[in-house]
Amino acid sequence: MSHSELGDAGTGVTNSSPVPAVQLSGIAKRFGAVVACDNVDLALARGRIHGLLGENGAGKSTLMKMLIGLVLPDAGTIAIDGKTESIHDPLTASALGIGMVHQHFSLVDALAVWENVTLGDAGRLDPNATRNRIGEISEQYGLVIDPDKRVGDLTAGLRQRVEIIKCLRRDPSIVIFDEPTSVLTPEESEQLFESLRHVVAAENRAVVLVSHKLDEVLHATDDITIMRQGRVVDQRYSTDADAPTLARAMVGREVSLRSERAALGIHSLDDTDLDDVEPVEPDTVLPATAQPVLRIDRAVAHDADGVVALDEFSLEMHSGEIVGVAGVEGNGQRALGDVLSSLLTLSSGTVAVDGAVVPTGKSGAMAEAGIGVIPEDRHDSGLVLDMTVAENLVLVDQSRAATRGLIDQRRLHAFTEEMIEQFNISCGGPTAPMWSVSGGNQQRVVLARELSQEPKILVAAQPTRGLDVGAIEYMSHRLETAAASGVAVLLISSELEEILELSHRIIVMHSGRIVGEMSRAEANFETLGLLMGGAAA
Amino acid sequence: MTDATTAVDAVGSPDAQPGRTRRGARLSEWSALYAMSIFAALVLSAILVEATGGDWRPVVSALLDGSVRRPGRWGETLATAAPLLVVALGTVISSKAGLVNIGQEGQLYVGAAVGAYFGFLIGGPGPINVVLILIIGAAGGGLWAGVAAGLRYWRGVPEVLSTLLLVTVGGQAVAYSLRWEWLLLAPEGRRGNRNQVSEQLATDNRLPRPDFFGNEFPLTVFISVVLAVIVAFALSRTVWGFRLRMLGRNPRAAQRSGVSETRYGAMALMLGGAFAGLAGAAMLTGGGFAFGNYQMVPGFSANIGWTGLLVALVAYEKPLAAIPVAVVFAGLRTGSSFVGSTGVEGRITDVISGLLVLALLIPAAVMLLRDRRRARAAATERV
Ligand SMILES: Nc1ncnc2c1ncn2[C@@H]1O[C@H](COP(=O)(O)OP(=O)(O)OP(=O)(O)O)[C@@H](O)[C@H]1O
Ligand SMILES: [Mg+2]
Repeated sequence: MSHSELGDAGTGVTNSSPVPAVQLSGIAKRFGAVVACDNVDLALARGRIHGLLGENGAGKSTLMKMLIGLVLPDAGTIAIDGKTESIHDPLTASALGIGMVHQHFSLVDALAVWENVTLGDAGRLDPNATRNRIGEISEQYGLVIDPDKRVGDLTAGLRQRVEIIKCLRRDPSIVIFDEPTSVLTPEESEQLFESLRHVVAAENRAVVLVSHKLDEVLHATDDITIMRQGRVVDQRYSTDADAPTLARAMVGREVSLRSERAALGIHSLDDTDLDDVEPVEPDTVLPATAQPVLRIDRAVAHDADGVVALDEFSLEMHSGEIVGVAGVEGNGQRALGDVLSSLLTLSSGTVAVDGAVVPTGKSGAMAEAGIGVIPEDRHDSGLVLDMTVAENLVLVDQSRAATRGLIDQRRLHAFTEEMIEQFNISCGGPTAPMWSVSGGNQQRVVLARELSQEPKILVAAQPTRGLDVGAIEYMSHRLETAAASGVAVLLISSELEEILELSHRIIVMHSGRIVGEMSRAEANFETLGLLMGGAAA
Repeated sequence: MTDATTAVDAVGSPDAQPGRTRRGARLSEWSALYAMSIFAALVLSAILVEATGGDWRPVVSALLDGSVRRPGRWGETLATAAPLLVVALGTVISSKAGLVNIGQEGQLYVGAAVGAYFGFLIGGPGPINVVLILIIGAAGGGLWAGVAAGLRYWRGVPEVLSTLLLVTVGGQAVAYSLRWEWLLLAPEGRRGNRNQVSEQLATDNRLPRPDFFGNEFPLTVFISVVLAVIVAFALSRTVWGFRLRMLGRNPRAAQRSGVSETRYGAMALMLGGAFAGLAGAAMLTGGGFAFGNYQMVPGFSANIGWTGLLVALVAYEKPLAAIPVAVVFAGLRTGSSFVGSTGVEGRITDVISGLLVLALLIPAAVMLLRDRRRARAAATERV
């Protein structure tokens, strides 16, 4: 709990340069009753990558936003290269060479990649210069992207690349990454940090990495700071840390090893310990003669540009089973989720719940039929940021808080308090606007709503995105209980561990089709990896 | 200016909003902004008056006289505020659903004309006919906005364009109907010396105008305040309002949750029109000399639609806040009608009231711009 390994946190890690690039001292920030940061001291040294860990709502993003001038500290000082600065807006921060990749995207769908990258620039745009610059960065950091693609057509992973390029384009000497890898593949993030490491060393930059992937933090960073409830509770060198200790320091208790595996983001195709993972046998699966609860029959769907997203996709699910959907991002997973959210109309084919055909693209039809959805992008269709936490909890079905067309505030608040308690949502209370809630806690609101609605079918797309290790553990548990109680869970995930850990049956998607299907017992990284790459089953 | 993007992000990020503790600070910030811009407008007006050879003191005095001080004037101000408020409430409803209705002037005009037409046609017994005219007026305005809704949801025409265009079309249509006796034009003997005027509503077809301390105003004043309370309640406390706000703030979440964009959006747009139409019918039946004196005349709408839109804007889409804002705008209007008596040229008076309206709008515009950016960023943010 003490500032153990690094001695006095005030002076911090200064072995590569006498004056830290950034010195935060006594930083405090309150939002009403919520203490987001409480007397935080943090030093960032040049030439080093600093990991910032902590539970959802610990105050990581808030602390970083103070560095970039988006949030003003109530108390404390910020010194850049030894000089105390007042960073009251992002322009000041950028003039000081500080850049940040935010936890949530701020891209304009309708614009091309290069336009997004230059967004907000003053003066004339120079498309070719921008394209060239994007090319340079792509090459240097392994973030390949087509500058002329429309951002709306990109997968989450590619959007993340755009955000990172947008930040790196200005060559900031102090770079903050707020959960940049939650949508990147392990290979991508590895490459990113590999190249960052070189730049950091060569150009003497300072980098902060906020992440919930302990493994990644251990590999990519030099120093680690752990926050809990707005305070710094531990600081140490990465070489002196291991995942279980970090997890314990973060959450304040032991975290079960199994779900830790998913949280750690251990991805390696030759993972031989895999057999340690106890295969889950679907003992609740009904005999094959039983009517499937969900039947998708030769579904064909096109995305906004008319490109085929689902190609004769057929799937049957029975109540009580967890079906994992593996596949490289952008192979129709988003379309599948959208169809089951009534957001996309099928060109042909049908979706039936309990044998009854549900019209696609008709507002509310899927939800009414009993399909709950945790969307891969919570800000897209999962939340209304301008409404309150309580309102977001009854977004899909207001009936539990309404009598004869009127919202019953008392019942709404009682329900909200219950959900806040059950899902451990840390926020400013039921009436806090959704935008004020931290990323991981926003995700919890979505989970709370969809699970509490007791759906027949639950589509969970990247359900643990942004969650801390403790919450991931809880989530996995909730999904398993949901399945045990008869819910058919369709788990769409880009993390194979998550799929292998939870699924009874696994399907692999490629180019909008199912290219392989197997039971959990048959599945392993190797076959899945091959299938995901498009090899025939 | 190497890094304007981060600045955009700064304002744009929803997380960039100050916390609750800073709400007080923000409030005083806005008050200061209002004080400053109104003061600037007053100074500019004073300079203008002095420069054109007048004296600014009597002008200010006339403004106050016209809006509140002279006997009967605050009644007149309230009478003007009522239709402004009703128009603003409709505007609030459509903007909550994320729609930009700027055709209130036309919806009001058409509503009043339709109300008048059926009022004369039916000519039933007093009070019943008044209620009918109000209802038909609302229906007329609503259907007029319904044209825009139809264009938007079946043809994809943005409502900003269609509502605006329909102001012109509506104006032409009403002007046309004022030229034909089988439509609105009064019979030969009853036109007085005017040639485009409808008959006057019979005395028992008018809204009562109670008198308070020598100030009289039509019943619409009370009706409009009640409507403001109802709209505020409906938007914040009913499932319908909840779903409407959801549609306005995140159409995709709404689509998934069973809020049909076509149904709710069209409803919101038509309600906006219905409120404007109701305001028009209320002006007709509530009369007063300022509003055509119980009859349809060219230019009957008298910019109440436009001003009502501004009221909604300044009230920041809050139904209850629209009440005082409507009164202020009405006061500006009734007040500036007195300025002419100071010998200041009419055109200067127009410029002055324009300046004052602008002064009221500037802080709201700043506010709206901030909000828009935030909303846009929120809409485009992805995880
Ligand atoms: N603008 C704001 N208004 C009110 N409360 C806020 C605001 N911003 C953050 N908070 C609160 O401050 C706390 C810390 O939030 P922060 O976003 O810093 O958490 P975090 O450590 O980044 O968590 P996560 O891992 O979920 O992203 C949260 O409880 C959040 O609700
Ligand atoms: Mg965060």
